[in-house]
Formats: sequence, structure tokens, C-alpha cells
Amino acid sequence: MRRLLGVSMVAAVALTACVTINVYFPAAEAKEAAKVFVEKVINDAIPAPAPAPAPGGGGMAFEAPHRGFDPLMLIGIAPAYAQSQPDFNIQTPAITAIQSRMEQRFDSALRAHFDSGALGFSEDGLVVMRDAAALALKDRVPVNSAVADENRDRKAVYREIAVANSHPEWEGQIRSVFAKQWVDSAKSGWWYQRGGAWKQK
Amino acid sequence: MSILRILLLFVLSAALWSPLAQARTATADIARIRTGIATLEQVHVRLDWPKNADRGTLQLRVGKLNAPDLGYAFRNVMWQCPLQRDGDGGWRCEGELLSDGLRSAGAKPMRLGIDLATAFTDVVLRQGEARLEVHRQAATPDDTRIDLVKVPLVWSQALLSRAWTEGRWKTGQLDGRLVVSVPTNQPLRVSGPLMLAAAALETPDGSIAAEGLGANLALDYRNTANEQRVDLRGTLRGGELLFGSAYVALPPTPVTLEINAIGDASGWRVPTFLWGDGDTLTTRGSAAFAPDGSVRALDIQIDSKDLSPVTKRYLSSWLGGFGLGDLSLTGGLRSRLRLDAAGMQGFEASFDRVDVKEGSGMFRFDGLDGELRYSAAAPVDSAVRWRSGQLYGLDFGASTLPLHSADGVIALRSPASVDAIGGTLRFDRFQLRPPHGEQGLQANFGLTLDAFDIGKLAQSMGWPAFRGTLSGSIPDARYVDDRLVFEGGLEMRVFDGSVKVSSLAMERPFGVAPTLSADLAIDDLDLLSVTEVFDFGSISGRLDGSIRDLRLVDWTATAFDSELYTQRRRGVKQRISQRAVQNISSVGDASFVTSLQGQLIGLFDDFGYRRLGISCRLQNQICAMGGLESIGKAATGSGSDTSGFTVVQGAGIPRLNVVGFNRQVDWPTLVERLEAVGSGELKPVVQ
Repeated sequence: MRRLLGVSMVAAVALTACVTINVYFPAAEAKEAAKVFVEKVINDAIPAPAPAPAPGGGGMAFEAPHRGFDPLMLIGIAPAYAQSQPDFNIQTPAITAIQSRMEQRFDSALRAHFDSGALGFSEDGLVVMRDAAALALKDRVPVNSAVADENRDRKAVYREIAVANSHPEWEGQIRSVFAKQWVDSAKSGWWYQRGGAWKQK
Repeated sequence: MSILRILLLFVLSAALWSPLAQARTATADIARIRTGIATLEQVHVRLDWPKNADRGTLQLRVGKLNAPDLGYAFRNVMWQCPLQRDGDGGWRCEGELLSDGLRSAGAKPMRLGIDLATAFTDVVLRQGEARLEVHRQAATPDDTRIDLVKVPLVWSQALLSRAWTEGRWKTGQLDGRLVVSVPTNQPLRVSGPLMLAAAALETPDGSIAAEGLGANLALDYRNTANEQRVDLRGTLRGGELLFGSAYVALPPTPVTLEINAIGDASGWRVPTFLWGDGDTLTTRGSAAFAPDGSVRALDIQIDSKDLSPVTKRYLSSWLGGFGLGDLSLTGGLRSRLRLDAAGMQGFEASFDRVDVKEGSGMFRFDGLDGELRYSAAAPVDSAVRWRSGQLYGLDFGASTLPLHSADGVIALRSPASVDAIGGTLRFDRFQLRPPHGEQGLQANFGLTLDAFDIGKLAQSMGWPAFRGTLSGSIPDARYVDDRLVFEGGLEMRVFDGSVKVSSLAMERPFGVAPTLSADLAIDDLDLLSVTEVFDFGSISGRLDGSIRDLRLVDWTATAFDSELYTQRRRGVKQRISQRAVQNISSVGDASFVTSLQGQLIGLFDDFGYRRLGISCRLQNQICAMGGLESIGKAATGSGSDTSGFTVVQGAGIPRLNVVGFNRQVDWPTLVERLEAVGSGELKPVVQ
């Protein structure tokens, strides 16, 4: 059905020669972006590669990425890339800053407790205390506060990604994509919630 | 124990005087024996006494042993021991005790010894160093004395479970001397001193826990058919406690503890409790809990003469949950909190020279005094004042907040002013509803800003040295779901013109990556003063424009749609200096389209211009730039336009136009260049 709709949309575009705006949530791009984000946080620390030089040769001009040939150009329609093929962006300075904080926190305060089963991923893309008894009492306070910090960061990330992509209303969908990705990228043995029950990967 | 005595006597009499066997053996099978404390079922006793021997072998098997008042139940209890006379008309027997589930793997064997003297009965249960002794005197048959020496707390698990189903001892030792009284037709009573060492306990969900707890307590426990009463008083000596989100790291100094509790089918009532931690914290009050452990009522008075140890000792976990783990407090506090099943009913706090400081510098209050009262029902008035403070690095002065509270809302009684940033901030009204049930914190307020000094603001925020004033009124601001939305607007009088700020909103104002969004309308700024402040070279003229959909995350611009352009005014010269031209060029990577050779620019100090305009639509770190042609039109955002855009349109001779070609500019690089221009580090090459 979607495929048919897609075809008819193209036809309409060709006939009326106007640019359509696609407001579908770019699920595939979002998933890919979430995967990159999540794995950077979750994976064991790998020495970070040197930052890539700013694009544009001279460092001043930004060269738009090469976008290939679009057959619509033949009938005089310049494709509106920004809308019709959303470049799902999650690399704003704020998000990157939160991400590197999350990465650090994951290594220093959370990973060991995912391994022990004390922590798990919730269905709404957050971290929850699954089994507090698995933690020594003295660890429970710092871990609880790390979990609270982590969840504040996560909520901010989901919100900021939606806003950075000019669709604040995508926040919920982005959160679901991430919720699934945290589990997909989880190491085996870690716990996650599905349908209200705990499962072990 | 008298049952034991009767049993033994019965078996002994049968065995010793039986004429039938050489090695005399007696057995007895009893279906059920009831005592005040315990019921024994399927009891089998057997005594073998070889002829002429000085001792026999006693064997006792009990299929089921239940002590329901104490919560103990054992199956298949087996005890075998050599039975001897004590030379005084009594008997003595000691041997290994076995029972299902009694002995964990690897533990030392458990031994039971019984002394049946004529005047007393002693029973000693020992395992390694641990000893549990039960003494009974024939003269006082209702009382049993229990001496505990280094007894593992897990032995008292059943007793604990009876009072508190969820509680599980993990480790720890118990010493004590208890008297268990079972007078006929009277409640069971257990009383005496108890000493806990290195105690650890936990609930299955981990919500309540203790570790390394030391205590000297006096227990008085009574159990009747329909209620249990516990009276516990003494001192706690070190350790850690966790109740949900409240974590207590006990000090090495003793903490006084008194608990009086009554439990029945409707849950537990605590008519009085006391927690005395010296000057740091004294807590007293009453409470009631439902059978599931939820709080039904709580009336608690919390006083502190010295708040400084309180955050680390009592509040670390709770504050950490709000991201305020680094909060420090000094001064004194007296407060009272009343809760019922519906939530907070009332709160009163009286502050005595309290200083509050958030470690990362987000906020600070000095010399907090006065009273704060909250009521979920009847109206109450109070007032809070402070000497000075700081918010996000901006100082503010003394103020008094006259407060009124009723029906779960706390509000300002009359407007309150605070001196801040060289001007005055006035709260025309303020209303706050604490979290209630599912609803989070809600607040709304009206603000008036009068003549804030932008120079001071700029200095604290690390901005260029702007000068001017910020005034305005926000008749309605609301804080809901971590979002702060301002109705109304502010006006900045700067550079001889104005910048109007509207559609102000903040997300997570006190959280992660605080976000500010706004629309700015720029009207008639003196461009010469602007360029002087930015040390950009000099441009004279008047500047208009707008910055719409501005979004700052962590105080850094991440998105906006801006256009800035000059507006010709009668009597205003429009000149641009050579340095400003070069800076524009080096920042914008623009090229000159001019009738002159590029090198000739250096021969002139300044140039006349007709119009100057630039637009930038920032999104995803890319600034989509445009020039005079795009002013007033919607930015396309498309990168496909390769023609140039005019930033400066020249006038007179020499005529100089500045044209930009890169419509898609990397924002961080642009900012870097602008900063370099401001600090004079950039040396453009004029070709």
C-alpha cells in the first residue's frame, strides 16, 4: 500500500510540478542514527579516533554532501532534500556533549551493574533498578543517582534529537526507536523489560 | 521444658525398672504435645541403657515442631545424646541436633545440651561460638530466660518474619538476655536487652536495607491473640540504612532510637518514635502503615541545630535523585511534616540563618530566615527572607517573600522584589503546587524586570561588553513538566535601539542541557556601537532585523532564522571601514566584486555603502546564508543555489560590493572565526 501511494505521489509531483513534503517519521534513518549513538555509549571504551577535519577543504565553506542524480531534475524539479529525504541528524553540540557524558557514566558507574543484573533497560528507553539486592548497600546510593542522571540525560537526548530535526512531535517515536536499540545493542546476559516482564538477553 | 522433664522421667522410669531385657530399652510414641510456646507432633522417644552402665543413650525424634507465636517451625528434628545422672537427683544429656533445613552446608554442627536438675532446667544450644541458653526455674514456671551469646541473627529470622514479613536478616550477631513469659491466660511477653553487631538486613525488592548496623536496645514485645506490641529503645552505633530513596549513613556517635509500635490486622501503628542524632537531627512523631507497608499517616517533627552534616548523612540519596548531590547546607531548621494516604497535608519549616549552596554553582541562597508553611486545607500565612543569592552566576540581593497557603497551593501574598543585575526583578504573583499523586510540580508566576544592567549580565555570561538595559514584563509564566513558558515579552534597550524578546520558553531550566527558545525583533540599533563592542572594525548606520525561532541549548545557539540589515535614516552616514570589510570577507569567505583591484582596498580607510544585509538560517550546525536579495523572503535552505549573494552593496566612489558564494557555512567554524575577529587574531589576506 505504501509503495502504491509512493508511486502515485511521484506521479502527482510530476503533473503539478510542486515539491511534496514528506512528514513520515524516517524510521530507518532514526534506527541507524540510534544504533551509532547507542553503540558508542554501550561498547567498551575504544580509543576515540582523531576528530575528522572540518569538511570543505579550506575549513571555511561547508560543502553539501553529494546527493547523486535525481531523475526528477529532468522535469525541472529541484528536489527539496531537507524534507523529502530527512537527513536524520543527532550530532548537535548539546547531544554530543550529553552522549560523551553518558559514555563515561556507562563505563564508570553503570556497566558493571548491567553485568550483575542489578540494572536493566526499561520499555520506554530508560534505565531502571531491576534488582537492588544485587548491589551492596554502599553502592546503591551512587548507582541510584547515576541512574537518575542517566535518565535525565536520556530524556533530554530524545527531546533534543526530535527538536534538532525540526519535529518535536517525533519525541515519542524517537524514544521507542532508542528503547529498542538499547536492547538490540545490549550485551548478552543483560536484562530488559518487554510487555511488563523482565527478560534476559 | 517441663514437658521434656515429664517425657524423660516417663521413659526413664520405664527403662530402668523394666525387668524384661538385659540391655534395657524403653520407647514412647506420642501423637501430640502442647506447651505454652510450642506444639510437638509425632514424637518418638527411645532410651537404651545397657546393664550396669553409668549412662544410657537417649534418642528423640519429632516429626513437626511448631512455635507459632515465635514463628518457628521445624520438621524431622532428631537429637541423640548420652544420658547421665547429675549426682543430685537430676539428669544431663548433650548431643548433636539435626533437623531439616536447620544446618546449612559447611556450618559447624549444632549441639543441644539439657540439664534436668530438680530445681531448674537448662537447655543450651550451641554452634561454634554461638550459644543460645534457655533457663527455667521450677519456682517460676511461667518465665523462661533466654541468654544469647554471639547468636547469628538468622536464628531469629522466624521471629522477625512474624513482625515484618518482608524483612530478611543477611548477617550479624545478637547478644542479649531475654525473658519470655507465658503466664496462663496472659499475652506472651518477651523483654530484655539486645545488642546487635554488624547486622545486615534486606527486603526482597531491596527497598529497605541495613548494613554494618550496631545497636544496644531494650526490647519489650507482647503478643496477644489480636495484636502485637513492640517497644524498642536504645542507641544505634554506626552502620548504613536505606529506606526507599532515603539513605542514612549513621555517625560513629550513638543515635538514640525509640519506637513504640502496635500491629494488628489493619497494619502497624507507631504512636511515638524518636530519632536523636545530637545537634544534627532530632526526629520525633507518629506514623501508621497499611499491611502492605505503605504509609497511611505520618506526623513528623524534624529539627536540626546544625544542618551541615545533614546532607551527607541523611539526604545524599534523595538529593542525588534530583541531580543535587553536591548541595551543601548550614544553619538551623525546625520543621514538621504531616502526610496521609492522600499525600502531604501540611508542611512547616522555620529557618535559622540557613545557607544553601549547589556545588556546580547553579544556585545559592545566603542567610535564609523565616518560616515556610504549606497547607492542603485551611489557610496559613508565612514569610521567608534571604540576604543574598546567586542563580547561574548572577547575583541577586535580599528579599522577603510573604506567603499564603491553602488547599494545596502556596502563593505570594503580595508582590516581592529582588535586586538583581543592577536592576529590579519583581514577582507580581507566584503560585506553586507541590507534586500531588500523579501530578508533578506546577508553578505559575508573573514577573516584571526593571532596568537590568546588560553590561553586568554580559560580564557574568562571558559575552562581549554590551551596554544597555533590559526591562519588560511577563504577566504569566508557567512551569509544568519541566517546561517554563513565558507569556508576554521583554525589551532590551541596547545600542540606542531596542531588541524585543517574545515567545520565551525554557525546557529543563534546572536540568540537563537547559534550553531557551525565543523570538527576537531588532529595531534601530546603532551599528557603530555594535561593531565597536565586537571590535569588528567600524560600520556606521542603523541596524534592523529579526532572529526568529532562536533556540539555545546549554546557552549555545543551535537553531535560528535571522536576518540583519541596515535601514537608511535621514542624517545617518553609512560608512564601512576597511577593517570591517576585511573581517566580513574573512569570516564569510566572501569575494570582492568591485571596480577596483582587490589590492587597492588597502588604500582607503573606509567606504560608503548603500545597503548591508545578511541572513542566516541555522539548523543542524549549518548556517544557510543569504544576502540582501533574500531579506524579507523565506530562506530556501537548499544548497543548490550556486550564485553569489550580496552582503554589502557599495555606494559612491570607490564603490565596493561584498558578495558571498558559500551559502552553506559550517556554523562552528563561523563562530570560531567571529571569535578570532573579536580578539583580533585573524589576519585576512586580501587578494
